[in-house]
Amino acid sequence: MATFDLLNNTPAEREQFFITLYKKGFPTVAKYVSKMGGSFDEAKDIFQDALVIYYEKTVNSSIEINSNEQAYLLGIAKHLWAKKFRDDIKLVPLDSYEDENGFIESDYEQPSPNKLMHYLETAGQKCMELLKAFYYDKLTVNTIAGLFGYSGVHSASVQKYKCLEKVRETIKEKSLAYEDFIE
Amino acid sequence: MRTSLNEIKQIDDHLFSQATVEDALLFDAMLIIDPNLSYKIMWQKRAHQLVQQYSRRTLKAEIESVHQKLFNEPANQSFRQRIMNLF
Repeated sequence: MATFDLLNNTPAEREQFFITLYKKGFPTVAKYVSKMGGSFDEAKDIFQDALVIYYEKTVNSSIEINSNEQAYLLGIAKHLWAKKFRDDIKLVPLDSYEDENGFIESDYEQPSPNKLMHYLETAGQKCMELLKAFYYDKLTVNTIAGLFGYSGVHSASVQKYKCLEKVRETIKEKSLAYEDFIE
Repeated sequence: MRTSLNEIKQIDDHLFSQATVEDALLFDAMLIIDPNLSYKIMWQKRAHQLVQQYSRRTLKAEIESVHQKLFNEPANQSFRQRIMNLF
């Protein structure tokens, strides 16, 4: 089982994690996609989406992955391939579902880049990185305080809520001005 | 923490179901009293969606750089060849 210590979820650790998963999982997925008539680029796209899903399952400790990573990645890839095929022939509308927090997820395709994201990436990148560390990478507040150079867990927490407020207010302002900012 | 940040925390606790029973009841009462609160919840949900979108995009960029490493560095030539032979 390729996994890493959540306390040490740094870019370098993630790189090693993904290299391992790539070497173990990509040949099987590529073989499957090729057998189904897909191209190298399609295999790559599907595998990379599967890695994102795998990562999210791994950091979310409430979900245990019981099978080995190779089988698990192939399973996700098959699902994504079937979905892609359905969507391509447009028999089934793009479905979305709510995750356990009630957020609508547009499956695992990246929504098209938009102005709001661009704004937040440039004007508020430090905040976005901090929020990613808390909510997506699920790092502990101690680790985050160290990584981002805060004096303690309290100031890291305060900064988290300040950033969330900033993002929230930005979305609100921009959305009220431009309805099409939000997809 | 200033009041508005406390409220952000309360909304987060509500969204992620992390509030204690007492706090959850209090929050439900606040929802009835303060008509703006449900809008704040909506915007905060959107903020979380955006953080997720940003995070996935960043993660995919990391994965793509791993891909480039595996498919461009001479040390990984046999891996690359094995994959390319499938197509």
